[in-house]
Amino acid sequence: MTEVRLFATCLAEQFFPSVVDAAALVLERMKIKVRPLKSAFCCGQAPFNEGLREPALELARRFLNSCEPGTPVVIPSGSCTSMVKIFYSDLLAEEPALAARAAAIRPWLFEFSQFIVNVMRVKYVGARFDRTVAYHPACHLTRELGVVDEPRVLLGQVEGLRLVDFRNPEECCGFGGLFSVKLPHISAAMVEDKIVRLKECGAQAVVANDCGCLMQIGGAIHRQGLAIETFHLAEVLAAR
Amino acid sequence: MTAFHKLIANVKTALERAPRPAEPGHAADGGAAMPVAGDLRRTELIAQFARELAAVGGVFLGALTADQARPRIVALARELGAKAAACGAGVTMDLAPLARALEQSGVAMTRADRKSVADRAAYRDRLAQADLGIVEAHAAIAATGTLAVVGAADRPNSLTLLPPANLILVHADRVMPDLAAAVAALGTATFVTNRVALITGPSRTADIEKMIVLGVHGPKQLYAIAVWPAEGAR
Amino acid sequence: MAAAKPDPAPDFFATSRAGVADAELRRKLENSTGRHLDHVAQMRAEFPPYDAERDAARAIKEDAIGRLDQLLIELKHQLEANGCTVFIAADAAEARDYILKVARQAGARRVVKGKSMATEEIALNPALEAAGLEVVETDLGEYIVQLRRERPSHIITPAIHLSKEDIGQLFADKLGIPYSAEPATLTAAARDRLRGIFLAADMGITGVNFAVAETGTLVLVENEGNGRLSSTLPETFIAVMGIEKVIPRLADVPHFLEILARTGTGQKLTTYTNFISGPRRKGEADGPGAMHVVMLDNGRSTMLADPVLREALYCLRCGACLNVCPVYRRIGGHAYNSVYPGPIGSIVSPNLFGSAAAQLPFASTLCGACRDICPVKIDIPRILLHLRWKEGQATPPIKWPADARRARAGVARFARMARHPRTMRLLTRAAAIFARPFAHDGYLKRMPGAFRNWTRWGRDFPAPRFRRRKHVP
Ligand code: SF4
Repeated sequence: MTEVRLFATCLAEQFFPSVVDAAALVLERMKIKVRPLKSAFCCGQAPFNEGLREPALELARRFLNSCEPGTPVVIPSGSCTSMVKIFYSDLLAEEPALAARAAAIRPWLFEFSQFIVNVMRVKYVGARFDRTVAYHPACHLTRELGVVDEPRVLLGQVEGLRLVDFRNPEECCGFGGLFSVKLPHISAAMVEDKIVRLKECGAQAVVANDCGCLMQIGGAIHRQGLAIETFHLAEVLAAR
Repeated sequence: MTAFHKLIANVKTALERAPRPAEPGHAADGGAAMPVAGDLRRTELIAQFARELAAVGGVFLGALTADQARPRIVALARELGAKAAACGAGVTMDLAPLARALEQSGVAMTRADRKSVADRAAYRDRLAQADLGIVEAHAAIAATGTLAVVGAADRPNSLTLLPPANLILVHADRVMPDLAAAVAALGTATFVTNRVALITGPSRTADIEKMIVLGVHGPKQLYAIAVWPAEGAR
Repeated sequence: MAAAKPDPAPDFFATSRAGVADAELRRKLENSTGRHLDHVAQMRAEFPPYDAERDAARAIKEDAIGRLDQLLIELKHQLEANGCTVFIAADAAEARDYILKVARQAGARRVVKGKSMATEEIALNPALEAAGLEVVETDLGEYIVQLRRERPSHIITPAIHLSKEDIGQLFADKLGIPYSAEPATLTAAARDRLRGIFLAADMGITGVNFAVAETGTLVLVENEGNGRLSSTLPETFIAVMGIEKVIPRLADVPHFLEILARTGTGQKLTTYTNFISGPRRKGEADGPGAMHVVMLDNGRSTMLADPVLREALYCLRCGACLNVCPVYRRIGGHAYNSVYPGPIGSIVSPNLFGSAAAQLPFASTLCGACRDICPVKIDIPRILLHLRWKEGQATPPIKWPADARRARAGVARFARMARHPRTMRLLTRAAAIFARPFAHDGYLKRMPGAFRNWTRWGRDFPAPRFRRRKHVP
């Protein structure tokens, strides 16, 4: 039986625990043994993106020491996965030992949908979700990891789910970590326009693979009092 | 140390601080000989050129022999209501018969021979008054609908700039598949000694709300003819 | 380095706020950039070698920038052999002074300019005007913003912040033509007005897209014909180029032209590509009697020395990254307070304009759309991250508004605490219990401290929660 470590990510641990539950459930139903990766809390992206490299480095060290090569680590976030897989190489440029460890771990790291479709080679997870859904492709997931089709493939196999297109889906929702509170006016304008497009398409729910986007889009939808729900892909795949 | 040496020294130190990548090998130069395509390929290329030219707002008047082209151009001048036209020296063809034909049809012609261009200001004024500028291009590019016009003493650049309409001739053998082939065919030396203009359609802008408008500072109308060698000429 | 003086630096936070508040501006930007992106998508789709050409172009730039010293020597030599006068300007002031000197010596009075970001960078127009010269921008977009005494808000579509109605009104006021919002009518009016100016000009100034070292050839790419006219009609011609514009060989040029046109303007090829190697030769009817080439460093060698930032020197100034940038599309170019706005502006401006632009690298969500569209695949997000780190250590430190400073301190504090997962989980639990009475179906309407700005700007905040299942820590 395959064993994976599930890294919850700091956003999900604090605000979206149901996403972690759902991700674990989906993997367990595929007869995978899921062990949570408890000894790390955050990959360090938040301070790294703010240019605070020392604090980010300490978090990276902690994260890398919590993983071991040979056991897949599944992360329900495209952004955190890109941080470790891609941005660590600049962060660790002056830390050869840690960089070597990161290089060894990198191939064992998977974003949730990537793991299911590309590693487990599963498309149908037995989910049922009776809603009209718009899929928001998160930026890091799409452009850093190149995960474009996997989530759509999985959603396409969910019974009862109708996937609808909306204009300019790839445009960023405006979250951007600290950007959302440092330049809140720009961040809010971005999500405002995204929601205009979501409203047009008639979706009952928006699905994304990143808790950052869910916070941003969900928060704006809730503020506007709209009847559109937000879900993480894992939650949709866990639904029966 | 001169400013230049200082700059180079700066650049050098900068480069040393961050290592330079290995030099990639370069493909060999295409050479200056004009490759001649076979008949079928030539027709294909001309057809593609015509399509692309139309797509950028130019007008292809056809692949004609020199004898067919002359009356067609005289007719064009009439359609445009051109009273004055200017014409440069040909590349592969003699444009004098064409100029004579236009003159006979009542169009005032400005040639680009040594005498006419000697007074540069006067020549420029005449060009600015001309309704139609006529030149032969060195090559055309099928993939993009482009004409490569090489400026020279007897083929001034302003010919394709000042008149509101242009007619550009190109020898049918000189329609190249793509940009790289055209640049290679012209040869590096040409670029050193002459001004080369690649012209892809009429002058245009999209500066107002990204909407396309033809005819800003350059010609608003662009006509092209591929000149086919006369029967038995090859 | 004595950088060109930016406008008395207004604060990015204030100007960007004005940008998002201008609904009309956002509508115009959405319109124009959307139209451009549609064209680009189409042009990319129908050109199968697109990605291979991007790689080829990037490789050429990598090579050229990697031996910039040799190539500049070769270029200068070739240009001089072709009859050009070459001047090396270490900074903006040197470049301006030289151009003024040439103008004075030539007795020039009327200057026509083709589009050039380099001359914007060195703030050339005000200097020429102060010296009593009449300077006319001849690119339609540049002409429009010059009439409004504004700075361009985009590097290839200078008037993108204006609607056709705005321009119609402007032309009615300034050119005295009857009001029209028809782009064709407006364009014709500008053409008429500028034609006479072209014929009377005694000096032309343009930028340069590529400078071929092998042959000493400057390549100028444009659509309107104003660049050709500016470099052909006036007696004196000055081309201003950043030192990064040099490429090794003529055979390299084709690799750039198509991807540049396809991404920059959504065309297969721009209307005019001009290859200029020198002044008028004996017996020629047109072309300048004297041709000067100003090679501008102005901080570029500093960028070269930085192994991450160096990549920014590959930029072709195609402008596509602006159009695709979700931030640019919301705030417009003027909000950046820099000659170079948008993603590329955010990476080159701090180096050019110093602390006045130090906040710009933070004006991004790092979404990566710019890198995706960039014809030479410049890794802009990576450079932004690099600069955030570098600028964060700079002295004097970046001036942040109080809220932004609080947010930065907050994330630093979070990072320290996040080293202790168990504590974090306890805190989350406590926060969840504490927040419960304030939450409305899982969301908080008002947040304190660093998150204040979240709920002030149109978004509710998810209430903290904790989990129950067995695998949960
Ligand atoms: S960075 Fe790339 S996309 Fe942006 S202007 Fe430069 S070449 Fe174009």
